[in-house]
Amino acid sequence: MPMLNKNASQTTPHRSDEPIWWSLFSAGGVCVAMLVPAITLLVLLGIPLGLVSAEQLSYQRLHALVFHPLGLGVVLGAMVLPLFHAMHRIHHGLHDLKLAHGRLAKWLCYGSAVLLSLLVLGLWFSGLG
Amino acid sequence: MPSMAIQLQRYLPERDSTPHWQAFNVEYDDSTSVLDALEQIKAEQDSSLSYRWSCRMAICGSCGVMVNGVPKLGCKTFLRDYPKGLQLAPLGNFPVEKDLIVDMSRFLEHLTAIKPYLIAEAAPQGQPHRQTPAQLARYKQFSNCINCGLCYAACPQFGLKPDFLGPAAIALAHRYNLDSRDSGKAERMAQLNSDNGVWGCTFVGYCSTVCPKGVDPAAAVNQGKIASTLDGVIQWFKPAKASRNKEQR
Repeated sequence: MPMLNKNASQTTPHRSDEPIWWSLFSAGGVCVAMLVPAITLLVLLGIPLGLVSAEQLSYQRLHALVFHPLGLGVVLGAMVLPLFHAMHRIHHGLHDLKLAHGRLAKWLCYGSAVLLSLLVLGLWFSGLG
Repeated sequence: MPSMAIQLQRYLPERDSTPHWQAFNVEYDDSTSVLDALEQIKAEQDSSLSYRWSCRMAICGSCGVMVNGVPKLGCKTFLRDYPKGLQLAPLGNFPVEKDLIVDMSRFLEHLTAIKPYLIAEAAPQGQPHRQTPAQLARYKQFSNCINCGLCYAACPQFGLKPDFLGPAAIALAHRYNLDSRDSGKAERMAQLNSDNGVWGCTFVGYCSTVCPKGVDPAAAVNQGKIASTLDGVIQWFKPAKASRNKEQR
């Protein structure tokens, strides 16, 4: 058997920045897993079965909900965190499919999540008043 | 006795430039394992066949091969379960040395790097290290690893990036980190915290499917992600101490 590389156990590798992205991914995953079934239930079953009045999901009501100061939770849970969740999956998917891995793919993936999140938050703040 | 056609991937480095398939016929009954079949071929048909084996009872971890593309222990896999025939090849994701023998040194390097042994003060003279059943239960399932390497043959991330520490090494690091007698966690976390540590895993989970000892390396790796995240947060709030993943490369 070839000699083992004894230095392998002695070098200290750099700490990964992945915990940041993985935490956002996990949080986004939890939000999506909670929100999507709830919204599906409301829209696809609740309204047709007459359990929920379509009026309760009207534009005016939802607009008032989202642009309420506590609506920041909705914006974060329904848009910002799921964006990071999706881009994390795409980033690792690109690596798995051997399409792209490395700094550029990472910057593009998480960069677009950051930009779109800033856009969403900007729209939310500007619509608050 | 019925017989079965077995396709074997052969590679003799002094003769072949690439691996090729060779067909053999072996007699078998209900108790014939893949390892038995290999022994029969070597004894009666082709003595040049090379493969690793030792205990014949799924404890030494030597006889891992790809059985119809799935990583298996030869001694724990039986011909009776494959009525349509068998294709045997060396474990995937490792360089092939000869026939069914692979070079596992990369795996052994990763194993060495995470210090898979108890790092603890010696117990007082003549005294055992005491541990409650609850403390034992925390790590027991991860301690069944026999280092056979089947999980590395199953792991697509190890295939893409051989620097990834991989399922068994991380499961064993986790096993010792969870042991109440151990105090070596700080030494292991530096490896686990890196891109090639727990963060190289994308939770495919095939490692846990193929493990012949019922270990769940995928769970260990993903519990390790939580441990690594907490470790990072704690290091953040302790700037006075030297960060454990900064100094050298």
